[in-house]
Amino acid sequence: MPHAPQAPLFVREMGLPTRFALYLLVCLLLLALDARYSALAWLRGGLNAVLHPMQRVLAAPWEWSQEVAGFLITHAELKRENDRLREQRDRMRIAQQDRQTLFTENERLRELLALPPRPGVAPQVAEIAQTVPSPFSRKVIINRGQAHGIEAGWPVVDATGLVGQVTRSFPLTAEVTLLTDSDQAAPVQNLRNGLRLIVSGTGSDRLLEVRFLDMHADIKPGDLLYTSGIDGVYPAGIPVAQVVQTEPPRNTPFARAFCRPLGGVGRYRHVAVLKPLPKSEPAKP
Amino acid sequence: MSAAKPLLPQGAELAAPPTRAKVMVSLFAALCLTLLPWADGVRWLLPDLTLMVLLYWCIHAPRLAGLGIAFALGLITDVAHGLLLGLNALAYCAAAFVVLLLQRRLEGFAPPAQTLQLAPLLLGKEVLVLTLGLAFTRGEADWRYLAAGLLASLLWLPLALLLGRLSGRPALPDKTVIE
Repeated sequence: MPHAPQAPLFVREMGLPTRFALYLLVCLLLLALDARYSALAWLRGGLNAVLHPMQRVLAAPWEWSQEVAGFLITHAELKRENDRLREQRDRMRIAQQDRQTLFTENERLRELLALPPRPGVAPQVAEIAQTVPSPFSRKVIINRGQAHGIEAGWPVVDATGLVGQVTRSFPLTAEVTLLTDSDQAAPVQNLRNGLRLIVSGTGSDRLLEVRFLDMHADIKPGDLLYTSGIDGVYPAGIPVAQVVQTEPPRNTPFARAFCRPLGGVGRYRHVAVLKPLPKSEPAKP
Repeated sequence: MSAAKPLLPQGAELAAPPTRAKVMVSLFAALCLTLLPWADGVRWLLPDLTLMVLLYWCIHAPRLAGLGIAFALGLITDVAHGLLLGLNALAYCAAAFVVLLLQRRLEGFAPPAQTLQLAPLLLGKEVLVLTLGLAFTRGEADWRYLAAGLLASLLWLPLALLLGRLSGRPALPDKTVIE
């Protein structure tokens, strides 16, 4: 390199292949440590704490343009939306009254049966900061982290259903693995007949799957699947999926069912992280 | 490709040689471009600009960009993309190593000819990341991400011309005349 200003007169360094071999060794070590032992959380957390503000700054112009577009909305549109929201609020208030009576009734019945109260949850709203561009998994980053008390393992829902689970918590952000990730699964119950199943992700945004289904299981297209709450991770009664199609067993002794996720996986910007409350304290509606 | 390449840089290249600041700023800019909030639908198509800029400087300023920077950038990319630590770092190091081995040869080629030589490398990096990731994780890989390697090869020419202008290199070195 004739014109490199920093070219040294005497080369006193390891040869290129040696240096490459060293870096290769370090990389493989990192890979093994991260994949098998997850011993590098501190390194990832530290780098993430530096990278996240940078990503926020980079995303800012886009957010401002969104805000400007939102500001230039007509009065009529606002009026229409206001009316719609008011109507929706009234409808929800009625539903809420109904729910309250059901809740007290349920509590009384549980007392009669001497069952422990259902574990409560405290929702904490978070915004999806970015999606993770990984070819291997379906994850999003939310803008709440260790600083806000978020811990790995907590379920994440949105207005329409289950979204996923917090899998890593960083200082300012947290990583949520979506229900549609091929590694995720959720225990559910068929709303129609109480059949317990396990729904797994397939890696596609629009499709969930019930694998290893009994050949004669009573499951039909249109059935709604809600979390059963028996795993202790997801509280009971969160809408998860609707069965779209069932497939009779072909090469395996098991049938399969394909479902559509009910939560807006990958559609909404705001989600709620459900913080589990201690079991002794029943949730108040 | 003329054999009569000048031993010392001539003209504009002499006036504006690649400096550490130029290398760092261009690498940082490329990294920022990849960190932008790209839409989900085009993520798999997004070429790895960081790697391309890194390889450019490995060819044209190997004293300023090498395996160390490749490793650091790879690690940052891994964290930013939520991948296993060391996945991109390994791929970047491997790509930088190959380019540094062939540096003398690649340096003499004009950007269009470089494209042909670097295309297997840019595509190979995507293959390496996908296969290594598959080996270390369960689940399956999204093979559409290979398209990013193809697009990166197509974008090499404009990128090389742009960075060449930055460091005062003539667009086509064939035209350098020496007495």
